Amino acid sequence: MNVSGKTGFIVVIAVICIGVIVALATVVNTYPSGVPAETIDWNLTLIGNGGNELVLTFDELKELPSYEGHGGFFSTVGMKYGPFECKGVSVKDLCALVGGIEPSNTLWVSALDGYLMVFTYDQVQGDILIYDPATLREIPHTDLKMILMYEQDGALIPGDDGRPLRIAIVSSNGGFLTEGHYWVKWVNKIEIRTPDR
Amino acid sequence: MVKPIHLVAGILILIFIAAVVIVMGMAAYQSDSHDETKLKVICAGSLIESFHELEKEFENKHPGVDVQVEGHGSIQVIRYVTDLHKEVDVVAVADYSLIPDMMYPEYADWYIAFATNEMVIAYSNQSKYANEITSDNWYEILKRPGVTFGFSNPMLDSCGYRAFMVTQLAEFYYDNHTIFDDVIACNFDPAIKVNMNNDTCIVSIPEIFEHKTEKIVIRGGSVQLLAFLDYGEIDYAFQYKSMAQQHGLQYVDLPCEIDLSSTEYEDIYKKVIIQLGFQRFTSIGTERSGKPIFYAMTIPDSTQHPELAVEFVKFILSEDGQEILCDAKQTPISPMTDNPDNIPDEFRFMDMTEMDG
Repeated sequence: MNVSGKTGFIVVIAVICIGVIVALATVVNTYPSGVPAETIDWNLTLIGNGGNELVLTFDELKELPSYEGHGGFFSTVGMKYGPFECKGVSVKDLCALVGGIEPSNTLWVSALDGYLMVFTYDQVQGDILIYDPATLREIPHTDLKMILMYEQDGALIPGDDGRPLRIAIVSSNGGFLTEGHYWVKWVNKIEIRTPDR
Repeated sequence: MVKPIHLVAGILILIFIAAVVIVMGMAAYQSDSHDETKLKVICAGSLIESFHELEKEFENKHPGVDVQVEGHGSIQVIRYVTDLHKEVDVVAVADYSLIPDMMYPEYADWYIAFATNEMVIAYSNQSKYANEITSDNWYEILKRPGVTFGFSNPMLDSCGYRAFMVTQLAEFYYDNHTIFDDVIACNFDPAIKVNMNNDTCIVSIPEIFEHKTEKIVIRGGSVQLLAFLDYGEIDYAFQYKSMAQQHGLQYVDLPCEIDLSSTEYEDIYKKVIIQLGFQRFTSIGTERSGKPIFYAMTIPDSTQHPELAVEFVKFILSEDGQEILCDAKQTPISPMTDNPDNIPDEFRFMDMTEMDG
């Protein structure tokens, strides 16, 4: 083969490779959710205890100071999920954007699918029971943080797992699980309230 | 010496071969998985052990079928169909009333009740006063100093609000109007309010459900309490009888008038209503009324495999299926349905009574 023949051969192989890689990327990108990578069109509504309201887009949320940590959870029947590498915004910081949360307040976290979880002030500060991933026995607290996660294991959260925003309980060193009902998926509203006593 | 142009060509060819292998592998994997019919069964957590056994036996009888059983809290089971719009072939829940309340008429229009359960007080050999506790004195033992006990969070788990029902019903049965307060309510701040409305007792759980004493342990699911009993970290736990038996625990058999097991005492059970502190799901309200525990199943309209789903339900109701349930300590009952006209034709030959209410 002369030089121009060799160059032509390499060009053909390169074009085929690029085609295959593009095809592969498309397959990987559409699996398992079935939708290609997309712009996230999502609003998070924050409501302070005085009723003041702030709406953040997904992109605005990502511009806030972020926290990265490890965390996982288990379901009511003991199925274990994670641990994951989680990245998101501290829930305490989000509360601060609408006046902050006080010990007498509770935090109502709502989701697009109609799910609601109420957290106490202490839980928002990271005072949550944690469990050994192997035995599910309670273990002592570490530096826990409640975050509103937008990245799981370095990528957007999978659709079925709460994309784009999910509550996560994490710490810098991980090695624990928390109860799954705290990990609210598809979060679209966070409201600070004062409960009736 | 290798020329750079040859090196580039070699690398590109390797990438090409690797890519082709990956694509073929994925295609083969997808093709394999398409050959098998997947039957998606979502069931209540307390059924999971028996349903895994049913899964194995059904797959043996139906080569090429992969039964995928997944356990969740009963409300979550139904939400997989109604709120999350997942393709589910069979749902089975621990409270039959959830099916008409949450699925009728859009997602289903019949159910078959197929098993029962009852509430017990589970304990181990290490539990304090294990040799003294009986169905007559359990509430006295639980309130003794030094005795610890647990139940699942009534906001999150049906076994939890049923523990409250049992303790409140105990006041009627033992004619002692301090039992609920002495055993449960006194451990909480803010307090748990109990109001009487005619004959009905309404227990209101506060939005913040925190106990102020070390006497009790509350966890998200009743399954978590089993480990506490195993390790001697609590003495007693309110549990379903099936779970206590599956876990090899001892238990106090409570009187039928309070253990939520019998249709005979339905009118008594419904005298207790638990009002939950907040509406956790928009698809169901906050009131849980006392009623007998019946497990029920249905085939959602959205099933992708209606015939196979019918086969699976028939298998559960068959002699073999009932035996598997019994072996897994789940008590089968003669099947009952609420809408005999709507059940699939394949079930019509079965001797099935109609549910009241």
